[in-house]
Amino acid sequence: MPLTKYTRNFCIIAHVDHGKTTLSDRILEHTNTVAMRVMTDQHLDSMDLEKERGITIKSHPVTMTYRAKDGHDYKLNLMDTPGHVDFSYEVSRSLAACEGAVLLIDAAQGVEAQTVANAHLAFAQKLKVIPVINKIDLPSANLELCTRQLEDILSIPAEEAILASGKAGIGIEDILEAVVNRVPPPRWATYPQLRCLVFDSLYDSYRGCIAYVRVFSGTIKANDQMMLMSNGQKADVKEVGVFMPKMTKIASLGAGDVGYIVSSIKNTSDVKTGDTITLAARPATEMLPGYKEVRPMVFCGLYPLESDDYEKLKAALGRLRLNDAAFVYSSESSLALGFGFRCGFLGLLHMEIIQERIRREHDVDIISTYPSVIYHVIKHGGEKIDVDNPVNMPDPGTIEEIREPTIRASIILPNDSMGDILALIMEKRGVCEHTDTLDQNRVMLRCVLPLNEILVDFNDRLKSITHGYGSMDYELGDYIASDLVKMDIMINGDPVDAFSCIVHREKADAKGRQLCEKLAKIIPPQMFKVAIQAAIGGKIIARDNVREMRKDVTSKCYGGDISRKRKLLDKQKEGKKKMKQIGKVSIPPDAFIKVLQND
Amino acid sequence: MSHIASEQDKAAPDRPLGLYVHVPFCASTCDFCAFYQTKPTADGVERFLAGVANEARLVSWARPVTTVFWGGGTPGLLAPRDLGRLADIVRSHCGGAPVEWSVEMAPASVTPQRLAALKAAGVTRISMGVQSFQPALLEGLGRQHTRAQIYRAYEHVRAAGFASVNLDLMFALPGQTETEWADDVREAVRLAPDHISTYCLTFEEDTALWVKLSQGRVKLDPEHEARLYEATWAQLREAGYAQYEVSNFARPGHACLHNLNTWRMHEWVGLGPSGASQYAGWRGANVADLDKWLELLGRGERATEDRVAATPAQLAEDALIFGLRMNEGVNLADWRARCAEAPWAMVDALLARCNAEGLTLVEGDRARLTDRGRLLADSVGAEVMEAFSVQPVVPA
Repeated sequence: MPLTKYTRNFCIIAHVDHGKTTLSDRILEHTNTVAMRVMTDQHLDSMDLEKERGITIKSHPVTMTYRAKDGHDYKLNLMDTPGHVDFSYEVSRSLAACEGAVLLIDAAQGVEAQTVANAHLAFAQKLKVIPVINKIDLPSANLELCTRQLEDILSIPAEEAILASGKAGIGIEDILEAVVNRVPPPRWATYPQLRCLVFDSLYDSYRGCIAYVRVFSGTIKANDQMMLMSNGQKADVKEVGVFMPKMTKIASLGAGDVGYIVSSIKNTSDVKTGDTITLAARPATEMLPGYKEVRPMVFCGLYPLESDDYEKLKAALGRLRLNDAAFVYSSESSLALGFGFRCGFLGLLHMEIIQERIRREHDVDIISTYPSVIYHVIKHGGEKIDVDNPVNMPDPGTIEEIREPTIRASIILPNDSMGDILALIMEKRGVCEHTDTLDQNRVMLRCVLPLNEILVDFNDRLKSITHGYGSMDYELGDYIASDLVKMDIMINGDPVDAFSCIVHREKADAKGRQLCEKLAKIIPPQMFKVAIQAAIGGKIIARDNVREMRKDVTSKCYGGDISRKRKLLDKQKEGKKKMKQIGKVSIPPDAFIKVLQND
Repeated sequence: MSHIASEQDKAAPDRPLGLYVHVPFCASTCDFCAFYQTKPTADGVERFLAGVANEARLVSWARPVTTVFWGGGTPGLLAPRDLGRLADIVRSHCGGAPVEWSVEMAPASVTPQRLAALKAAGVTRISMGVQSFQPALLEGLGRQHTRAQIYRAYEHVRAAGFASVNLDLMFALPGQTETEWADDVREAVRLAPDHISTYCLTFEEDTALWVKLSQGRVKLDPEHEARLYEATWAQLREAGYAQYEVSNFARPGHACLHNLNTWRMHEWVGLGPSGASQYAGWRGANVADLDKWLELLGRGERATEDRVAATPAQLAEDALIFGLRMNEGVNLADWRARCAEAPWAMVDALLARCNAEGLTLVEGDRARLTDRGRLLADSVGAEVMEAFSVQPVVPA
């Protein structure tokens, strides 16, 4: 009898706020995995930010034992997956480590954009999906609507749905029974060699990189020599263990198990999510499917508000990188902002989270420049270069074509917001390809949008137009050729690097005018005339003037006390030294920051 | 402004020398004032007079004093007898009669007796701190006089027959409207003094007003101040008072020579606590404390703090900073000749930029500020300092 007969690997997938964490906690309680006295709310989401935003950033797998109604003890491995589109590759790897998925739907909210996206990811991994309608104890619960949506939108038979409430502890047993009975036992267990899927990793300052793995076949134990199949790197296994949910050392991990491997590898960036671990002595011949290199999609410059904090920021980025191989950075310097870093992120949320963690956990005040995406620039003669920083955009005369990344978005919104949302999509240069009616009140739009258009305020405006009822999910689309231009902002003819940006030609005028106006307003009055201009390849498209200083004169210079007056002027002169010099213009360092912050 | 320049040349064909005496006594502290002052006591005045006599003896007087200025504090607060004693000390070191001798007085303490003592001593010019004719604003400044006292004092001063009389006024006072200020200027003009100084309220550290400002109880409004400046200049020009410096206006022949000479970077000796000197190759200010000043004098030292060498480059720089504040401007050729090693190329570049921006006018050898530039004299001054902070290339 295979050892894996009584093992089930599953995950819970849901739209934000549909109750995933609470339900996970109830399941842990029910299986006595966490003693009641150490049970704190939201056990699995341990990072402050995760708790606050109700999202999962790091994986928190846990192994439970459940005595099913058939009388057998089952080993249940619950994978808590990252729940945001920025981490869709990570999500897909977590799903790949399972055979089944519990799909949560908020009984009062119904299917949301992320529900659809996650369900499709689960189908793509050939997981058995168990639909659970959660929060059924809410007065506003609408079961009929939820079951109809399950059938209409996700093609899941309504009778498969389990009614539950994580908060009230309803239906927990039913869910566990469904996991045991509907989710198949671990797949690919009979493959002749060891194959472990890496679905996450953690940096520990004492032990180095800790790989989170799902073992598909074979066994691995301390003192084995392992090999990463993507690059052939070998390492000594120092310890293996499982999540109870605390890391607990065990003798070996076998087929179907979810656990961790501590090896001689120090850096998390060497152990890539999606890679396959095998034994160096008897290596597998095929990797597990689905591995790819993750590349950052969104970039921005991060600068310390106080230049003295540069080293602190550098250390913070280094520590964050240890635990997050998807985050990349390199040093850069800006005329306007001083010394800082160019950083790459998986997406907007990833960017926001890293920035927030720098501020909170590392206590460094930072300012970020406008986010940018990677443009593919085809030069005359066919040379292709990637540009992630507007500053590096080649001379327009040498460019044949610029291609920009797009996204395929699913947007769910109330019917009455349709007109405004379509206008927003058009404003953002998007194309709506398909419209689905979800129920009496809601529609789902499928559209293609340039990624750079959703970087700044798309989600906020979606939420505000729909009074919070709209939701969006997206996946990356193709690169398309666009009429893009690099716009520079100049102060008295000298470009200010931090404000250079790549925009669509038709939007350049408006954006240029807006930036000039903002800078002209924020820069304090100057003694000499100062022109703020927006330019595309040397052609001025917008201009404004900084207010002229009206009065700066000390009335009384008497008593022959020249020194006193000199001290005053000296103070003024010293103050100027602390300013950023753009050509001959002295600008207080916080002026640029204010413009960036005002966005 | 040619009458001012020529008059000064006549008065001191050689090198003028000023004598400033700081009389540190005030009956009360005005909310805006940051000058050193202390409460007058009989003993304090005695010791002060003795101190001035001692200090004057420590100075090597190389040539006759051209102008005298008693400031404060409130010099006019001394008793007539003490005014005479102070005048005796001053005169004994002057080497003849100064061409101008100014004394600052507060309206509340002007009496015929005091004026007579000053007139007899050789004082030629009375400067009276009126500040405002509006009782509410006077109170707001913490001034101790009434409107009636101003008129009475002015009559006494005129009756005493001084050659020149100045009235000090202040504007941009908290709550003061542009009309109220125009009324104050008109009232001052109606009295027909020879000289009018108008000071924009300045928030100096260590004053009661500064505290109000930092507490947000009063607000600065540079645009309002600029309008008041411009209105003042027009109103006084109309009334026959020529502007010769940012805050100073005079009828022909009545500009204050003592001040002109300091702004032209000539020499002066400052006596009394906090008195500043620029003399014999150095500059510095006395310690701003009556007791410490006396203590140092008791050891036979002048009580100058932060004494620095007044190098030609330093003087050229300050001649520009302070010269530009004057309507006559600064004679670049003179200073180029006196200090060839100053970074003139930087200065020229700065002036060219200021000219192009309409802040200065350079005509022949003279550079001066335009009306717009005069409102930005501090910024221009800071630029001048910046230009001079560039080290000149010294040939090896």
